[in-house]
Amino acid sequence: MLIFLAVLVLHGQDQPDIPKPVPVIIGGAGFITTFDGGQPHLGPLIAPVLLVPIGDRWLIESRATFEADMVQEPGSSSFHGQVLKSIDYAQLDFIANPYVTVTAGRFLTPFGIFNERLYPIWIRNLQTDPLILPIGTGPSQASTGAMLRGGFPATSKFNINYTVFFSALSTVTLSNVTPLDSDRLVGGRAGIFIPNARLEIGGSFEHLLQDERSNTFGFHGGWQPPALPLEFRGEYQRSARGSGYWIEPAYRLSQVPFWQYAMRRTQLVARMQQYFVGEIPSDSLPPVNTRQFEFGVNYYFRDGLRAVSSYGRQFSQLGNKNVWTIGLTYRFAIPLGPGGEN
Amino acid sequence: MKLKRNILACLAVLILGGVLCAAGQEKAKVVDTKVSSAGADTASGSPLVSSKPVHKAAYSRFEGEQRYRANCGRCHMAPHKFPPRMMATIVRHMRVRATITDEDMNFILRYMTE
Repeated sequence: MLIFLAVLVLHGQDQPDIPKPVPVIIGGAGFITTFDGGQPHLGPLIAPVLLVPIGDRWLIESRATFEADMVQEPGSSSFHGQVLKSIDYAQLDFIANPYVTVTAGRFLTPFGIFNERLYPIWIRNLQTDPLILPIGTGPSQASTGAMLRGGFPATSKFNINYTVFFSALSTVTLSNVTPLDSDRLVGGRAGIFIPNARLEIGGSFEHLLQDERSNTFGFHGGWQPPALPLEFRGEYQRSARGSGYWIEPAYRLSQVPFWQYAMRRTQLVARMQQYFVGEIPSDSLPPVNTRQFEFGVNYYFRDGLRAVSSYGRQFSQLGNKNVWTIGLTYRFAIPLGPGGEN
Repeated sequence: MKLKRNILACLAVLILGGVLCAAGQEKAKVVDTKVSSAGADTASGSPLVSSKPVHKAAYSRFEGEQRYRANCGRCHMAPHKFPPRMMATIVRHMRVRATITDEDMNFILRYMTE
């Protein structure tokens, strides 16, 4: 494998005409109020991502999250809660060549598309997590080890992307920080992306190398019809711990012929999801079969700043409940050096 | 253990096969580019890389915008432009995060830093 990588590195090409990158902090912040079964929760959150490029091929990236879940104590009108601090990932990327990037450290488990690409508060269309999110990613949603990944054009019509990774068992606990735990497992994800159709489909696989040594697999898809301000995303996952799916269409109202200023900034979104309990119980997954439907309206004030709101109804053997959310999300980007020309 | 070995072997073969396939495509593309710069057309009928700088810049801008909308829109609303050196870092990050191809990354970066 080392020889294989070394040969590929020799084929890498420098890009002399691109701007010289500077360290940057990007990320999302928000304040989400949730009414879960009638119980109000206030959720301030900030998740900065530090990006430190080194030379032409290296990148250090890390995301920390500071969030609180503030609830009313019995007999009190004020809200209380602790600030939870977590280091979601801290990884070193080496772009070996146009086809392979080598990543080492603690990284978001590349299973499906939600955890790696749709999770940030400023990206997700609905603020609640899909019920099946922990199936492939585990409770911490991160792995500790090494990963090979990349994307390349297979033909002029479509691109292939892939990820293969190994994660070691980690039980690291730092003071005042959510545990940096991970399971011992090996896995991968592969997909194709058809740019003209804006269609993406793929599958993921994991084999747990501890405990019950079970397999987990999943499929994901996304489609943004070029002619419409519409997008569809969805995932299906199956493991011994449970299985389920979510489907999420979203539509921007830019085609509505009246109130154009407001309509083109408004997005309607829905999500249908279902979870089925598996043979092995899991603390991070629902204990019973669960169905949930959500409908949301988002309003984009400007690039990076939006108001979000949603209503959801959850059906399960433990009882049905409503879940409301309302809040603001913001995406920020701060250069840690001169951001202009070289 | 046998299953684990088989899985690893399959993944290794898939990656190797994909890389070799892509390398073959890349070589073919180099040949195509040489042919098109000599005045021939491509099978897809897409705009050609012209020897004239104006056409080349227009083609680069067109492709950059197309790829920017297609790739960035896979996950989020296409963002506004950032200063060039910031953009270089963010595009490198997105290349890793979203497994964007090298070619797409270069087009997007040029478009976003014009």
